[in-house]
Amino acid sequence: MSAPNPLRALGRLRFPLGAPDWPAGVERPPPERKIGLDYDHEWSRRYPARLVRAAMLDTLTRPLARAVAPATVRGDEYLRHLEAPVIFAANHASHIDTPLLLTTLPVEFRHRTIVAAASDYFFDRTWKSVLWSFSLAAIPIERSKVNRKSADTAAELVEDGWNLVIFPEGGRSPDGWAQPFRGGAAYLARRTGRPVVPVYLHGTRHVLPKRADKGSRAPGGSGTEQRARRGPRRSPVTVAFGRPLVPDEGEDARRFSARVERAVAVLGDEVRTDWWTARRLAASGESPSPHGPEASPWRRAWALGPRPDETRGDEPAWPRQGR
Amino acid sequence: MSPRPGFVLEVDGSTPPTLFWKGEGFTLERLPEGSRVVYAPEPLDPLKDPLGAIRHALAHPVGDSEPLRALLRPGMRLTICFDDVSLPLPPMQAPDVRQMVIEEVLDAAAAAGVDDVVLVAALALHRRMTEAELRHALGDRVYEAFAPHGLLTQHDAEDPDNLLDLGRTAEGEEVEINKRAATSDLLIYVNISLVAMDGGHKSVATGLASYRSLRHHHNPTTMRHSRSFMHAPSSELHSSNWRMGRHIAKSGVKVFQIETTLNTDTFPSQFGFLQKREWEWNLKDRATYAATAAALDATPGRLSRQIFHSIRAPHALTSVQAGEVEAVHELALESIWRQQGVPVEGQADILTMGLPYICPYNVNSIMNPILVACLGLGYFFNLYRGKPLVREGGVLIMQHPTKGDFDPAYHPSYIDFYEQVLTETTDPTEMHKLHEESFATDPWYIHLYRTGHAYHGVHPFYMWYWCAHALEHLGRVIVLGGDPKVVRRMGFSPASTLADALEIASDVVGPSATLTHLHTPPILLADVQ
Amino acid sequence: MKALLFERSMPRFAASRLASTLGSGRGARVAPLRLVDADAPRLPGASWHRVTPVLSGICGSDLATIDGRSSRYFEPLVSFPFVPGHEVTGTLDDDATGADGAPLPAGSRVVIQPVLGCRARGIEPPCPACAVGRTGDCEHTAFGHLAPGIQTGFCADTGGGWSTAGLVAHETQLFAVPDSLSDADAVTVEPVACALHAVLGAGIEADDLVAVVGAGTLGLATVAALGHLAARGLLPVPRSVVVGARYAHQRALAGDFGATSALPSDQLPRAVRRHSRSLATGGTSSGRLTGGADVVFDCVGSAESIASALDVVRPRGAVVLIGMPGRLSVDLAPLWHREVRLAGAYAYGTETAGPSPRPTFALALEAVAALGTGRLVSATYPLERFEEAVAHAGAAGRRGAVKIAFDPRLSTRGGRR
Repeated sequence: MSAPNPLRALGRLRFPLGAPDWPAGVERPPPERKIGLDYDHEWSRRYPARLVRAAMLDTLTRPLARAVAPATVRGDEYLRHLEAPVIFAANHASHIDTPLLLTTLPVEFRHRTIVAAASDYFFDRTWKSVLWSFSLAAIPIERSKVNRKSADTAAELVEDGWNLVIFPEGGRSPDGWAQPFRGGAAYLARRTGRPVVPVYLHGTRHVLPKRADKGSRAPGGSGTEQRARRGPRRSPVTVAFGRPLVPDEGEDARRFSARVERAVAVLGDEVRTDWWTARRLAASGESPSPHGPEASPWRRAWALGPRPDETRGDEPAWPRQGR
Repeated sequence: MSPRPGFVLEVDGSTPPTLFWKGEGFTLERLPEGSRVVYAPEPLDPLKDPLGAIRHALAHPVGDSEPLRALLRPGMRLTICFDDVSLPLPPMQAPDVRQMVIEEVLDAAAAAGVDDVVLVAALALHRRMTEAELRHALGDRVYEAFAPHGLLTQHDAEDPDNLLDLGRTAEGEEVEINKRAATSDLLIYVNISLVAMDGGHKSVATGLASYRSLRHHHNPTTMRHSRSFMHAPSSELHSSNWRMGRHIAKSGVKVFQIETTLNTDTFPSQFGFLQKREWEWNLKDRATYAATAAALDATPGRLSRQIFHSIRAPHALTSVQAGEVEAVHELALESIWRQQGVPVEGQADILTMGLPYICPYNVNSIMNPILVACLGLGYFFNLYRGKPLVREGGVLIMQHPTKGDFDPAYHPSYIDFYEQVLTETTDPTEMHKLHEESFATDPWYIHLYRTGHAYHGVHPFYMWYWCAHALEHLGRVIVLGGDPKVVRRMGFSPASTLADALEIASDVVGPSATLTHLHTPPILLADVQ
Repeated sequence: MKALLFERSMPRFAASRLASTLGSGRGARVAPLRLVDADAPRLPGASWHRVTPVLSGICGSDLATIDGRSSRYFEPLVSFPFVPGHEVTGTLDDDATGADGAPLPAGSRVVIQPVLGCRARGIEPPCPACAVGRTGDCEHTAFGHLAPGIQTGFCADTGGGWSTAGLVAHETQLFAVPDSLSDADAVTVEPVACALHAVLGAGIEADDLVAVVGAGTLGLATVAALGHLAARGLLPVPRSVVVGARYAHQRALAGDFGATSALPSDQLPRAVRRHSRSLATGGTSSGRLTGGADVVFDCVGSAESIASALDVVRPRGAVVLIGMPGRLSVDLAPLWHREVRLAGAYAYGTETAGPSPRPTFALALEAVAALGTGRLVSATYPLERFEEAVAHAGAAGRRGAVKIAFDPRLSTRGGRR
């Protein structure tokens, strides 16, 4: 005979010691949960949370990011004389992009920046909503279609003086090549009248790759391979800031968006080759497409080139001109 | 200083003790005066520009073949096959030769706009490679470009949908190989010829074959008539593979073979003393030996295995040739003999050897007793051309702890072979007749081979057949330092010291027996006159 | 005259139970078992005769009793104090008639069929089981003019084999031992009868895969029984008999008795997997088999052996429990999920295999003659050294032995043979 389980006794407690059952005839209202776009993130911009976040960004997130993604920062001189608020538009390849970008922004911008994050991914559960709005000052935005509310919220915040980090691709690149930019950043720039700083993040896809979809097949037969590593892998990255862009008189959002996309692509070209080559190609309109070649997946992956730290025996690294 | 050739040392009173491997450890043993020790040639200098050499080989093929770039065109179906984790031994320092060659090939394919490319690990009936092993062999760039899209596959010899029957050779041998490879416009095989057995037609005919095909040459009769399987003209194993390879070519499968050879720089500098002649050990070598041997004796098995299996060898490319299979193989063999050949006069009554911790079939795993037998009686015994190093009816003494430990994930059928087949018979022909079929067709072993990382159910039999020539040739096999119960089950005699082993041997070969010791690794090929 | 007497004493039961945790048979020192002066028991009635024991074996159930480990289920079915010893071969003190009706002169060797059914207890009419000769299933073993007792050797009125004083047996319990059988052969008749009865009742069909868990006396007798019955055409012929035997001498004997494959116990699942060509779930080192043996005999009766048996039986197969179990904790999920039949097999009675029904003991006498099971008797002891004898029996496997028996004749002579 096993000893009586104290927990079972606890489970048998009846009202009023235990919680009451709801009678059948009475309608029970559904539980309220405010998540996704309805999440109230005001508190993360108030002082208690802001202070703790600032301290955390500097003392915890920054060294961690540096340990896992040692970054070379270029073009920060363009930000020196820039007045907040600005909108940072970056390419997106990895979840490490946001903490990396936040911790490499100059101090003046860093602690007064919010990040636009996909509401369906980062705000679908209460605990996630709390976590990201606290640690990254994230605000939910609708990424699959235009949503009045998230656009309004973002615009208000920018007008209030908050810098905004936004990834116009709408999500991480599946194969290392950029996806077409959407119009959100350009629209906000026009509406608020603030400049857009193009940013190119290079090498983040090696640090914390986007895990291939669950449906992809591992080498070999019907079995699945054991994943050798799940965590981030240390790899050098580059954060390149470009000249701030302001929409021209009468330039509509769509054209401005294309201009932003080109600027990010040219920055990418600079980082991968060198500044002068990139400038010349940009001038002649022959910058390589940021979307990669039209070819089979393996050739697209092949065209990305080797990892930043990969050796091929005695192959010397490309000599760097310019910076 | 140019590398010195191998040679045969005559042991006398002033010869220091000789290094004997014993699995994950080593000892120094004094050999009787008058014994001979066969030393391997020193490692040749590697190619100064391996990538350049690879590019050159691809652009200047040998035999009846066009350069690689001429063979590539958009819209074609290209398959690149490569040797699996059983080569090279020990695994190479990064970058692996396969990575270097395949990256060059893919550069050419990308430039030519070839979209339909699949990589196939040519496992035959070996185990599937793990992700880490694939990344090591191919490099991260190749792995990440192909694996996530399912374009990096491992040959599945039990997948009826991916095998193509190409008919029979003139001798009635069934030829059935990987369908993707057989139906490609071009099949590029990237091989590492570590020993003279590798390469040539064997790459495709064995590496991409099914059990139906393999049993025609992986059987006791063929192995008994391979004297040795390191020398193709005397090897029935090779005759059969050559027939199959030529049949494959005639069936219209276009093979572009890329064969590479490595030098025998087997151990990193910390373990350099393992490939030096004992009388040339300097103070550092002797100190390292003493410290290491003592430490290893005190280290528990699992840990010492981990230490040894993490060794990455500094061996490097000595030659690379590409083009038509047979022409390529001729050149590769020349390189192999240049590096490994040692002329030896005459046979001895007793052959001694120390077995290291690794053979082709236990990379990153345990060397179970059956693999010990295969390494000693299969590979090391057959490192000859002409005649074996030991005379007919002689004795072979091999040193290895031979524990009854098995890796249940990599070698499940070996456990049953050891407990259920070896308890009944140790005769290769008997077990071939009575048990091979049930192991080869057992559904569970097939399941583990196809979806896990297990060697095929029939593989332990092949390991035993590898010993068939030696078992027929020798008068007795003595295992030095092995677990007596295990050694006896395999039909061998246990001995705990070299003196005891020689005592037991004298029962067979008489009191004044001649002895040759095979000082390997590094690998050598004895040319016995 | 001496006898080993087993008395009721709760504290000593507890003590022996504790002592036996060190190992089977180690409880003998503190158990309520002692050598006493005794006379032969009085004859309970007509048709009863005195038998002087020549050899009497120590069985697993005796060990369990002495170790205080037998189930409390048996308490109403035994009467204290009793003299243990139900595997008995001895000589008749006076003329008698055997169970088959043939006359047996005084001094002739007999082997005792120990079950005390209705006939022995003088109960008329007999219970339904005894009426058809299935004495093992008798419902009245605690009734009639005898004290309760399922068998001779557990009954206060009959005496038992572990004595020089002797025991009394009813005619229906007496079976003549042919001269061709040695004493050692005769003392193995009872365990062989158990095995024969279990095998014949197991529902084996032709070409079945049979597994045997445990290779002590009962396990080896089961292997022998399978071979013998199949050879005699009394049992459909199984295609393979795979035995899990912990010790090398057991494996050798199993092979001698005709097992297809005898392996260490931990290898049994792998061997059954291969013979049944099943797959295994849950990992590569013998996880759960998807198929398995058609019939599994558990000749041990422990939680581990039942779990082993459930590990290797196929869905809708049968596990026959011959070894006596106690109160055990076993995971029955495999039994439920795979619709396995778990059946007990106890003692003997009448077997219907063959042209006409015959008592199991008669079949057993033939089997023993054909198989030479006397070689299973590894050592004999005088009654005075009962503690050593019981310890030896408890550690028989480890000590290279199979069956240990008492030789009461040694008590008058002194010393061990």
